[in-house]
Amino acid sequence: MTAARPFLAALAQRGLQALIVAVIVGIVSFAMMQALPGDAAYRIAAGRYGYDMMDAAAAEAVRLELGLDRHWSVQLFAWLGALAQFDLGRSLVYGSPVVDEIAVQLGYSLLLAAGAVITSLLIAVPVGVAAGMKPGGVVDRVTLALSVFVRAIPAFALGVVLVLAFAVQLKLFPVAGFRGPEHLVLPSLTLGLGLAAVSNRVVRDAVVDAMAAEWQLFARTKGLSARFTVLRHVLRNASLPVVTYVGVQMAYLIEGVVIVETVFAWPGIGHALVHAIFARDIAMVQGTALTLGLIYVALNLAIDLACRGIDPRTRSA
Amino acid sequence: MTLSDAPSIAVDALSVFFGATRLLGPVSFRVAAGETLVIMGETGAGKSLTAQAILGTLPKELRAEGKVTINGRQVDTLSPTDRSALWGRDIATLPQEPWLALDPLMQAGRQVAEAHRYVAGLPPEGARNACVRDFETLGLVGAERRLPGALSGGMAQRVAFAAATAGRAPILLADEPTKGLDAERHARVVGLLTQVPKDGGALLVITHEAAVARALGGNIIVLRDGRVIEQGQTDQILAKPQEPYTQDLLAADPQAWPRSGTAPDGAVVLTAEGLAVTRGDRVLIEGFDLSLRAGERVAVTGPSGVGKTTLLDTLAGLIAPARGNVQRAKSLGRHAVQKLYQDPPAAFPPHVPLEQSLRDVARLHGVTWDRVTEYLIALNLLPDLLERRPDAVSGGELQRISVARALTVGPVVLLADEPTSRLDPITQRQTLELLAGITEAKGISIVLVTHHAAIAENWAHQSIELKSAT
Repeated sequence: MTAARPFLAALAQRGLQALIVAVIVGIVSFAMMQALPGDAAYRIAAGRYGYDMMDAAAAEAVRLELGLDRHWSVQLFAWLGALAQFDLGRSLVYGSPVVDEIAVQLGYSLLLAAGAVITSLLIAVPVGVAAGMKPGGVVDRVTLALSVFVRAIPAFALGVVLVLAFAVQLKLFPVAGFRGPEHLVLPSLTLGLGLAAVSNRVVRDAVVDAMAAEWQLFARTKGLSARFTVLRHVLRNASLPVVTYVGVQMAYLIEGVVIVETVFAWPGIGHALVHAIFARDIAMVQGTALTLGLIYVALNLAIDLACRGIDPRTRSA
Repeated sequence: MTLSDAPSIAVDALSVFFGATRLLGPVSFRVAAGETLVIMGETGAGKSLTAQAILGTLPKELRAEGKVTINGRQVDTLSPTDRSALWGRDIATLPQEPWLALDPLMQAGRQVAEAHRYVAGLPPEGARNACVRDFETLGLVGAERRLPGALSGGMAQRVAFAAATAGRAPILLADEPTKGLDAERHARVVGLLTQVPKDGGALLVITHEAAVARALGGNIIVLRDGRVIEQGQTDQILAKPQEPYTQDLLAADPQAWPRSGTAPDGAVVLTAEGLAVTRGDRVLIEGFDLSLRAGERVAVTGPSGVGKTTLLDTLAGLIAPARGNVQRAKSLGRHAVQKLYQDPPAAFPPHVPLEQSLRDVARLHGVTWDRVTEYLIALNLLPDLLERRPDAVSGGELQRISVARALTVGPVVLLADEPTSRLDPITQRQTLELLAGITEAKGISIVLVTHHAAIAENWAHQSIELKSAT
């Protein structure tokens, strides 16, 4: 038995997952678009020409051009068929290929997501370790209360509060948009705080467990100092549940990206998704939703690999 | 008195309190270089408290009183940080559960090397070489890169020994170092320990096994409920114990048990022919034959990891045999074969009162409550014990309750997987005696898996030793 076997199996499993996600996300987002009230052709025409410049004839032209009068099943299978050839189609509003739109937006979204995860770890790890070293102590109790408080605030409200405090009042960071690294701070902080509110407790529990483990005491009694024991043994063991949990948080992160991008007018994929829904740009909705779904699968694969990196037991089995 | 004559450890009137309750003491002893002290007693006697009070690792809610001197320095007055500075350098500790004491994510060799590096202060190269030497001396060559999960219990104990002693502390403190080891590994660990005083170290061993005390010699303290029952030279006290408790403790040593009589000549209830047990692709046991008669007690022994538990599950019909077959007598019903487990608390739902657990079994199998009570009385259990939850009775009581539960089903064969390995010697003897008595009276056969050769020898009618097939 080689070590490569479980690794390839994990890859194959995630690949299959990606395929299933693609089909389900495509069907569900299509169904939701169909279920929305109102005439899609009117909204698309309004998106293209502006509300004042369009009329019933323009909407009819759009309907014919895009084939919106076809039966829904024909439209769905046309999209799935194109997808099988890796073609996401063209934006119904802008006419440009969906892939090109997403390629630009995705970079911004990944930047924001990475900023959020890094921010959350920068907060959660020190706070969690400090709380976990003295369970039941002042730090532990205060951070628990703060965590509950922060987690209870919806991301959009937290974003608005941060904008009011740091952008409007203190004028430290820009309010919205993206022109430079300083624009990244507030949206990352908004998402990162929400993530850290829960993950600092996971870090705390992992540290409490590791500090109570017999191997921790043995590392001490064999003569290692408290600091060395933490650095060489506790952190590595404690990081395992934390990394796994960061994987679980990906769902929150993707949901958060959509909301926070809208609040901060961040030119990412979530922002694009919201706009595409308003404009009934079905191809864009399906494309962006599909991308978000696939990113979820890819991030989970990355988490799997990170866990394998930390935990040598999974490699030699 | 020159420095070399000074005791390595001196303990004067050491007591441990929980609030106002005295849990241990007062205990006083001295161990000098080249000497051995054994502290013997049952679980709860305060043996581990003694070790923790010497090290300064007592749980927060406990408080120690009395004077502890290590290598001429009074340590009980030191700050926790200063006390921990003694660990590994002045006093080394061998852990109770070596598997749990090793970092599960770090290779065995590195855990030893880091002690050479950071405790003994060797340069990186020297630390690696010292680690290689340790592994050679301890017969661990090839295990350097293995993770603790891939080590056997005996190997883990030796790796822990190497890591604990890397700092060259002149005192070694070992808390139940032979717990759960089979006979062969048991002897190896005892051999390692006897070498410590020969090399000029001071050895302090905590054990509940008379055999370990006998092999180590030196001086002994017998503890019961935190009080010193007897104290003196090991060979004298073991040969002529003055106190009844010490006598009981020694009589509980399986080597001292009377041999069982001949097996009853009952009908054959269970047979196994050419049974093979595998784990994954590996063959663990091959060609296992058994012909079990009604009322007969068969012991199966063998080193840990040989597949004893899997064999038992195969006999129970829980696992299909890899090769060979298991035949039950035609008269046996579906529930005629029952299992007893090693860890009694894990075999009961934790939040349900015991009486309810037993009543459920009785109702399910249409047995009257009087019958269950009869079993309980025969097993020396007080009925009001049943109002409690599993965690509120002792391990010995809980294991006897699980025997009663198994009997309620009306078994013909009991398969017992190390049912007393977690019990104290006196409780172990009592439990196994009651088990033998009640099953003999009812003509029930038992297959007992044990790592204890003396139990197999003296308690069972027939014993089968398993050897590793590979």
